[in-house]
Amino acid sequence: MRIPFLSMFMTSPFDGLEEHAGKVKSCALTFKKAIECHLSEDHREYDSLIKEVFRLEREADAVKRRIRGHLPKGTLMPVDKFQLFMYLREQDAVLDSVEDILEWISFREEPGIPQELAVDFLNFVDAVLLPLDLLSEMLMEARKYFQSYDDRQRNRVKDIITELRELEHTADKHERAIIRKVLNKDMDPITAFHMIRLAEYIGAIADHAENAGDMMRAMVAR
Amino acid sequence: MGQEFYILLIGYIFGFYMAWNIGANDVANSMASAVGAKAITIRQAVFIAGILNIVGATFIGSHVTNTIRKGIVTADVLADPHAALIGALSALLAAAIWVSFATWKSLPVSTTHSIVGSMIGFGIMAGGFSVIQWGKLGAVVSSWVISPVFSLIIGFIMFKLIIRLVLVKPDSYKRAVQLSPFFIGLAVFVVVLSFLFKTPLGKRLALSGLTALTLAFIIAAVIGWIGMKFLSRITDNSLPDGEEGIFRRIQIGTSCYVALAQGANDVANAIGPLAVVYFLVKTGSIGAKVPVPIFLLLFGGIGIACGIGMAGHRVMSTIGEKITTLTNSRGFCVDFSAATTVLIASKMGLPVSTTHAAVGGVMGVGLARGLEAVNLTIIFRIIAYWVLTVPAAAITSMVIYTILEYFL
Repeated sequence: MRIPFLSMFMTSPFDGLEEHAGKVKSCALTFKKAIECHLSEDHREYDSLIKEVFRLEREADAVKRRIRGHLPKGTLMPVDKFQLFMYLREQDAVLDSVEDILEWISFREEPGIPQELAVDFLNFVDAVLLPLDLLSEMLMEARKYFQSYDDRQRNRVKDIITELRELEHTADKHERAIIRKVLNKDMDPITAFHMIRLAEYIGAIADHAENAGDMMRAMVAR
Repeated sequence: MGQEFYILLIGYIFGFYMAWNIGANDVANSMASAVGAKAITIRQAVFIAGILNIVGATFIGSHVTNTIRKGIVTADVLADPHAALIGALSALLAAAIWVSFATWKSLPVSTTHSIVGSMIGFGIMAGGFSVIQWGKLGAVVSSWVISPVFSLIIGFIMFKLIIRLVLVKPDSYKRAVQLSPFFIGLAVFVVVLSFLFKTPLGKRLALSGLTALTLAFIIAAVIGWIGMKFLSRITDNSLPDGEEGIFRRIQIGTSCYVALAQGANDVANAIGPLAVVYFLVKTGSIGAKVPVPIFLLLFGGIGIACGIGMAGHRVMSTIGEKITTLTNSRGFCVDFSAATTVLIASKMGLPVSTTHAAVGGVMGVGLARGLEAVNLTIIFRIIAYWVLTVPAAAITSMVIYTILEYFL
């Protein structure tokens, strides 16, 4: 039954954002497993994990389009629609980076990542995925802030944003260490180039998470 | 007995049908925010809406009845009792049919607009276009614009005040308790005032404006104070959202307030034309003003309550599922602005729509950034149906008039 009074109330875009953040999280987890398999040269498992990553990506993409498609002109929200879309774009860009990485790896699957860099890359991937766990938490706290407009709640959101920035900084250090190591090793130039680009692509994940935090900072600004 | 008796019987049936439709159509507007914010259960909502619509209709709802009937069509039409009789009947039936159709198709129409439109149709049939007081119609039309806007402004200010004074504060629970007499008192103040100024009972007391204001103020202050004491006893500070608990309790009161205002305002839509029929049959002639007997108001109130009882459950459960993001502080603002708008406007004799007042309240809270997503564009749909409702009801009324004229 359709009731005129109800047509004013629309599905909250925050529901969609939280769902999208959840997809990002599980996609990141699968991506990490895939990288581990790649390093241990378990090709069969790697292929199935990659398929899973792309499936989650498509799902997240559908969520993104649904959010964008269901906010017509004249929608009143606690935040600016433009800011909300920018936030969503950054959150989604994380998945684009994952896609870029897997593609870049596939361009030169043999010989893959050299053994002496394996541990560095594993730690690096761990470091860039840490901020992604914070995204859903940040969204939940922000939503509570828009309910209560309480300053303490606002500070909780801001603390998470600061944490995101710090995590990105740590990830950056890993990236620089890897690049330094590659450039100072006696490595064939093609592998060196492949590894440096790979490090840059992986680093982009944390960058986008930080950008999402910055957009959230704009949304909770008074 | 004879023909007169049957005409009166038909009048009662049409009037009851209209009242039933009002109940079925408007119940969502008064109870939606309270049910959506989980302040009351579906069963409670149906019960509160039913009882208080009867109370509001019977005790506060006499003033508007005259204005709707008299304002738009000149009294000359009523000079011929036969035409007046047929006209009142066809206006009732036309409005009821249109509201039924709207309920079925879930169009955002107002019962008030429907009756105004069908009155115009009757006027045109009985006396031609010259009997329509276009100036008065203009005033009525402007009041349709004013009511959502007024409600929007109250809702906006109320929510901004609640953010500033309660929600942002570190001790928001204590703040909410401290300010609760103000919120409760304001609602009580408006109810008492409209009771004193509008009802036969209030008029018999014959209080001067100043005395009435003072009396209303004292009653509001006392009830507000008692309410605060009561609230601080039954709510719990230790909960994380203690202040929402306060608003949840206040919202039970405000949803009563809306139901009361709705009954007072909407009963006239069904009972106005019925009163004309009643007087024509009883006295044979009719003046410019019809004193509406209290039992007719009670009759209308019961009709509305029956409509609520029949359709209420289904409507409420849909609302409970759909509106999930409304919190109690928001729901309170919506209720408060809608009821205040309706009571003040109907006290001024303007035929306002509770639908539009409720929509205005939601928009006000939305503009104050209180809701996660509200569609403002429904305003334009409502405007489209304003333009549509009046001529549609008018034409229906004209057709029914022609048919009835043939039989009676």
